Amino acid sequence: MKAFLYGTALQWRLDLRSKSLLITCYVVPLLFYALMGGIFTSINPESKATLIQSMTVMGVSMGALIGLPPSLVEHYGSDVKKMYSANGVPLYLGILSMSLSAFLHLLIMCGVITLTAPFVFDASLPRNLPLYFGSLAVFLAVSLSAGCALGLCVKSQAKLTMISQLLFLPSIMLSGILFPISLLPRFLASAGKIFPAAWGYRLMTEEGVYWQNLLPLAVLLSAAVLLCTLLLKRLQKE
Amino acid sequence: MSYAVKVENLKKSYGDHTVLKGLSFHVKKGEVFALLGGNGAGKTTALECVEGLRRYDSGAIAVNGRVGIQLQSSSLPAHIRPLEAVRLFAEWNRVKADTATLAALGINSFAKKQYLELSTGQKRRLHLALALLGDPELLFLDEPTAGLDVEGRVSLHSQIRRLKAEGKTILLASHDMAEVESLCDRLAILKDGSLVFCGTAAELTAKSGSRYTISIKTEQGDESFFADNIADAMLDLLEGYRQKGIAVLDIKTDRGTLEQHFMELTGREQQ
Repeated sequence: MKAFLYGTALQWRLDLRSKSLLITCYVVPLLFYALMGGIFTSINPESKATLIQSMTVMGVSMGALIGLPPSLVEHYGSDVKKMYSANGVPLYLGILSMSLSAFLHLLIMCGVITLTAPFVFDASLPRNLPLYFGSLAVFLAVSLSAGCALGLCVKSQAKLTMISQLLFLPSIMLSGILFPISLLPRFLASAGKIFPAAWGYRLMTEEGVYWQNLLPLAVLLSAAVLLCTLLLKRLQKE
Repeated sequence: MSYAVKVENLKKSYGDHTVLKGLSFHVKKGEVFALLGGNGAGKTTALECVEGLRRYDSGAIAVNGRVGIQLQSSSLPAHIRPLEAVRLFAEWNRVKADTATLAALGINSFAKKQYLELSTGQKRRLHLALALLGDPELLFLDEPTAGLDVEGRVSLHSQIRRLKAEGKTILLASHDMAEVESLCDRLAILKDGSLVFCGTAAELTAKSGSRYTISIKTEQGDESFFADNIADAMLDLLEGYRQKGIAVLDIKTDRGTLEQHFMELTGREQQ
């Protein structure tokens, strides 16, 4: 346990030293928030009610689908994995420590949005903050598990960049954070439901423990965890 | 048990390509043993099978003792610092890093740098330090000096000699003949996944049966002679010069380098 905690704390420090993770977990999401927060609220004042949730979904999706997978490819697609195995460090340490570290970084980023949006954009705070952060934690876990599966599936950074964008863009466009899902054609609205962002947004805006929102996220989480387990077993055999 | 590693009839294929064709050798406790071979001979595959990092198709491998591994191609996270890597690996193996070993390898001199800022030599020294965590009895070193400059090579050789003096068993893969000749007690030569020689460097030289070349420098010029029996030949030659009244200024004998014998055994042509 001590070794695992040290590994996770070390990963947290490594992430702080890595500019790419700082960019995808902090700089870009917060810049997007600063820019789009102004635009959204000036075009449609009603968006103030869901600004925190929509900017949070955007930031988490970016960090999980674009920020986390390259770190996993660097670890598992390179000699780092071999070095760790040769020196008695278990294969799962990389994925767990990176996920936990990214979870904390993204939680901080979301905290900044939640704390500043009411003052900067006159946005409404979620009425039940503990429930909101609980929902956020669920959404973070599901998004990061999807990012982990992506990072373990793809072995080249070039391919990963392309595939990450192919998942990230529809995830955001079809999630309902930019425009209501009711405006989308039915097939696009249905397609959006395969991404965690759509369900995470509903979970955080509806502010209640609704199984119809939680169940799809649980299914996505289970599928991603199962896929990660299988991929790690395959890596172990290589 | 007097052996540290015993490999019997080891076979390994990648698809249709057979990399190891029934390899057998053993490494005695306390000796430095080298696996020699050209690129693609199967050294790294054999070593990784012995290390337990690669599955093999058939055969038997027995390893006695705690093991430390330095891989040929290895890497660490780009932003990790040397002492952080040492602590991470020490924590997982529930051992304490030996500060004397870290000092001997000069890790403290670059402790504040991140991994991506280290030179090849510094990375090799760090990898060796990590392999030495937990004071292993048996060390596997794969091309330990590949990519190092002369200074780094000399430094690492002295570390390997120090480890041998401490009684550690070392199995190293290399294609550097001079390194093998100066460091190893015994060596095995691999060619296309098969063992073509196993023994000492002296035995290899004797096995190759090369004739001696005797180069003699006199006041009248240089002459070269070939001989199978060096003692008789030298006596005859010196007696001949003495009778002719020619002063001998210098004598050199050469029985071919380990590299030449390796080339003969592996059927390679010298460039």
